[in-house]
Amino acid sequence: MSTLQRILYVEDEPDIQAVAKLALEMVGGFTVKVCSSGEEALREAVAFAPDMILLDVMMPGMDGPSTLKALRALPGLAELPVAFMTAKVQPAEVAHYKTLGARDVIAKPFDPMALASQVRAIWEG
Amino acid sequence: MDDKLKAAMAAQLAQLRNDYLARLPAELATLQGLGAGLSGGDADRASLDELHHRLHKLAGSGGTFGLAALSAGARTLEQRVNGWLAGSLDGQGAQAREAFSAALAALGETLTGADVPPASVAQARGAVAAPGKSTRVWLVEDDVLLGEELGRQLGSFNYVVRRFTRIGDAEHAARTERPDMLIMDVMFEQEGENATEVFALHPNLRALDCPLLFITSMDDFQSRVRAAQLGALGYFLKPLDVPRLVSRMTHIFEQQYAPAQRVLIVDDDSDLAEHYRLALLAAGMEADVLQEPVAIMEKIAAFRPELVLMDMHMPTFSGPDLAGVIRQHDKWSSLPIVYLSAETDLDRQMEAMDRGADDFLTKPISDAQLVAAVRIRIERARHLDEQINRDSLTGLLKHASVKEAAAIEVIRSRRNGKPVSLAMLDIDHFKSVNDTYGHAVGDVVISSVAMLLRQRLRQSDIVGRYGGEEFVAVLPECDAGHARLLMEDIRQRFASLRFSHEGKEFNCTLSVGLACSAAYPDSDGAALLVAADEALYVAKRGGRNQVRERKPA
Repeated sequence: MSTLQRILYVEDEPDIQAVAKLALEMVGGFTVKVCSSGEEALREAVAFAPDMILLDVMMPGMDGPSTLKALRALPGLAELPVAFMTAKVQPAEVAHYKTLGARDVIAKPFDPMALASQVRAIWEG
Repeated sequence: MDDKLKAAMAAQLAQLRNDYLARLPAELATLQGLGAGLSGGDADRASLDELHHRLHKLAGSGGTFGLAALSAGARTLEQRVNGWLAGSLDGQGAQAREAFSAALAALGETLTGADVPPASVAQARGAVAAPGKSTRVWLVEDDVLLGEELGRQLGSFNYVVRRFTRIGDAEHAARTERPDMLIMDVMFEQEGENATEVFALHPNLRALDCPLLFITSMDDFQSRVRAAQLGALGYFLKPLDVPRLVSRMTHIFEQQYAPAQRVLIVDDDSDLAEHYRLALLAAGMEADVLQEPVAIMEKIAAFRPELVLMDMHMPTFSGPDLAGVIRQHDKWSSLPIVYLSAETDLDRQMEAMDRGADDFLTKPISDAQLVAAVRIRIERARHLDEQINRDSLTGLLKHASVKEAAAIEVIRSRRNGKPVSLAMLDIDHFKSVNDTYGHAVGDVVISSVAMLLRQRLRQSDIVGRYGGEEFVAVLPECDAGHARLLMEDIRQRFASLRFSHEGKEFNCTLSVGLACSAAYPDSDGAALLVAADEALYVAKRGGRNQVRERKPA
């Protein structure tokens, strides 16, 4: 397994985008590509060749789960680690998201200082 | 994470949060507007969809910026809207809608105290409000009348003034809050103390670490030196010349607030490139690494760097090759390109610079050296750009640039179907101001109009100095009615400004002509400017100090 460097981050809310990008880049030193919708993520994912994908659950248009399903069909992304990000994290929901193929769920709001290590832990997990 | 990185991170987060807080009131107003527009029938569906979307975003972003109460409130309302959307909309009673509207209004109340920056923000110097946003000013003045008058006049320039009549009160407030600027009267007669000494003795006030101005009636050298020693950025004598004071305040804030510098790094050694990127990020800059040399122009167009840091020797394409490609594009012909290379042979350095680059930094280079070298070059490039495109007195766009902006915005409005309004403003009887009080005072009057326009209009509006005492404002996505309200407000505020020269006080007025693209569906920017100019003429003929709109006959 190589190291975690490239993260594709899908989130529709610009303010949260900015904070997460900052947190992942500055604290984690990752290379981050932000997509504002599931549709955009599908267009960009293969070319960006991420090591991991972070997906907001609730987005207008394609939501997180349907984006994940479509991403899985793309070349090279079938096994890629994916984590959902959502405000609703009941244990049952976490289990549900895991059955959809996510490795874990990150609760929103996240702590900008801790997000990078949280992501790294999921990736290594 | 080391401390430097932590501090840089905290500063950037604080900046994002400040920007967010500044946008919040408008968002809350939009939500309330949508809530008030609900009528209880199926026609509500579009508004409810919009409400659902916006509330969801607000719940997420509020939580991200630590506004837990706002986030929770928005979440509850989001679920309520969701419930409505799931059922039949016809059954919604007036009572439920009223309760919903009240709950929307209550969202704003969760913000009490939220605009008070937490400790991390107070440490983050540079995270000050941008020009055009409301800026918090503390005014410590024991003369109540003077304080009120100054507060009122500064309010016209969008400064939110909090007045203290006692130094102790300000000192107390400084324990928990921090303004963007502190203005203090030096002499407190009632308390019999010299405020400079009090200031020096109060660690809480000194710890505010914000720009400090003194107002005073003592023009002696000792007092001035003392003020300078205390770090005062201005020393203003009574009777106060408010426009001059505002001019200094604006200048101070603009120096503090400048957008992050953007640097594109081109280096085939990805570890090294990443190292440079983090060093620049930690210094508060935006930095990006070019991944694919063939995509360099796309990258430049998207990222709009202010400087390119280029490795000289790369396997497929060399630095000079890529610099040559950049220079083929007129738009980027003056983009600073700096080589970063282990090359120490002076002749070869010169040869490389022949091909499009501006400067040469020799590897290995320390982070501090790199940051300083990049920063100074971008500052210089920005300064040059300003001198070329901006009016030196007012900092506004020059005639040609604002004319071009008007043309572009009219074309854009034709495309997106949203009206753009043009306003032409002229200072009434300006020649007599110049003749009576001299050109220096005339310049103060002109810069006051410029500052009012910049402070009262939106960031997306474009303002230029069109001629001597003539200004143009381009207001995208603004109909004639709105434009008239805006200009009326500016006209009234300007008329109430008091200028003073050698003890004599006077007022000035503005005439304004308006034209909106909606009324002239076939006109281009130049024609619309002519229409605004005609409206200005009508305003002048009609007795000046008024706003007139031109419509086709």
